[in-house]
Amino acid sequence: MAELLAGLGTSHVPSIAAALDKGLRDSAEWKPFFDGYTVAQDWVAARKPDIAVVVYNDHGNSVFLDRVPTLALGVADEYRPADEGWGPRAVPDFPGAADFAWHLADCMVEGHFDPMICRELDVDHGLQVPMELIFGRPEVWPVRVVPILVNTIQYPIPTPQRMWDLGILLRRAIESYPGDEKIIVMGTGGLSHQLQGARAGFINPEADRAWIDRIGADPARYRAMSREDYVEEFGSEGAELIMWLVMRGCMDAQVNTLHRHYFAPASMTGAGMVLLENAA
Amino acid sequence: MTPSETIPDKIPDTPMFDRRRANAGYALNKMAMGLSSPEGRAAFLADEDAYLDRFKITPEQRAAVKARDWAEMVRLGGNLFYILKISAVDPTPIREIGAAQAGLSLQEFLETRLGKVTNG
Repeated sequence: MAELLAGLGTSHVPSIAAALDKGLRDSAEWKPFFDGYTVAQDWVAARKPDIAVVVYNDHGNSVFLDRVPTLALGVADEYRPADEGWGPRAVPDFPGAADFAWHLADCMVEGHFDPMICRELDVDHGLQVPMELIFGRPEVWPVRVVPILVNTIQYPIPTPQRMWDLGILLRRAIESYPGDEKIIVMGTGGLSHQLQGARAGFINPEADRAWIDRIGADPARYRAMSREDYVEEFGSEGAELIMWLVMRGCMDAQVNTLHRHYFAPASMTGAGMVLLENAA
Repeated sequence: MTPSETIPDKIPDTPMFDRRRANAGYALNKMAMGLSSPEGRAAFLADEDAYLDRFKITPEQRAAVKARDWAEMVRLGGNLFYILKISAVDPTPIREIGAAQAGLSLQEFLETRLGKVTNG
């Protein structure tokens, strides 16, 4: 069976990508943010995962409102960076783990999750940025990816509990896969931010820090919260945090939080990460 | 009158992108989505009115786009993830778009919303 190495939660703010593209990694504004990722980068690099399952939302780049899948799953051999308005970014194409992805498709449908199956999919900053934060800017990505897309833009978005249950299913899929691949699961998005309306610019560092502290050891509250609770506490786009629950639901009840980092604001967003390992 | 004017937001000043807004803003968001291709961007830059004519946007939505009035675009059903593509064609930093919706100067926005400490 395949092995779940770790779960990571991380922001995927587009300004992070823009900062990297402009060579601002070590600027006064951005260095404290990026430096907070080096422990996790080193930990992951030392363990050489084969596959990264990346749970993210498309931001109106590959998915338009003409058809909105609540859940979608990539089964491609390769994913290109999306054109988000400035042309596709100069990052390498992302190799896909198609065989595991099809296995996951089978497991999802048998487990009563019914994703749209995507054979061609351009991936936006929601997937690109987490990959760059963990693996840097290599010429070739050192892992194959499996994108799981969640609609977090048009209501109804899925419930937090549903995200958690998807995580439980993902764990079963990993452990029933007849390969010996080492897998990391990344839940992405957040933390608090709001781009729309007169409350634009809302961030909630106190709630963000509590999330970072508790998502590993004591996540029950976040699983029980409603979608509206997320919007109120983390902002309209901060509700992306529900995607971290897929990662957390995939892990054991008892985990070790190996690393945590928080920084605000990154552009208009509370930003940060956790690295979790099963305790047993 | 748009639906968003008739039912108040449950969370103040926080426009949930629900069926009312998605219906009201569909053509506006579709227009913006067209800017995700080089052809769409070139057409918008060459003749904005002709580009806008391709879409079934309302006169109010057209006026909001032409004025780059972000708060108004959102009020009329625009979703930031789509209408942001206008800011890729006509460069506008995201924080200025935030400040405009909040009704604040950029400096006030950075300080009071995002907690940026600035000198001088």
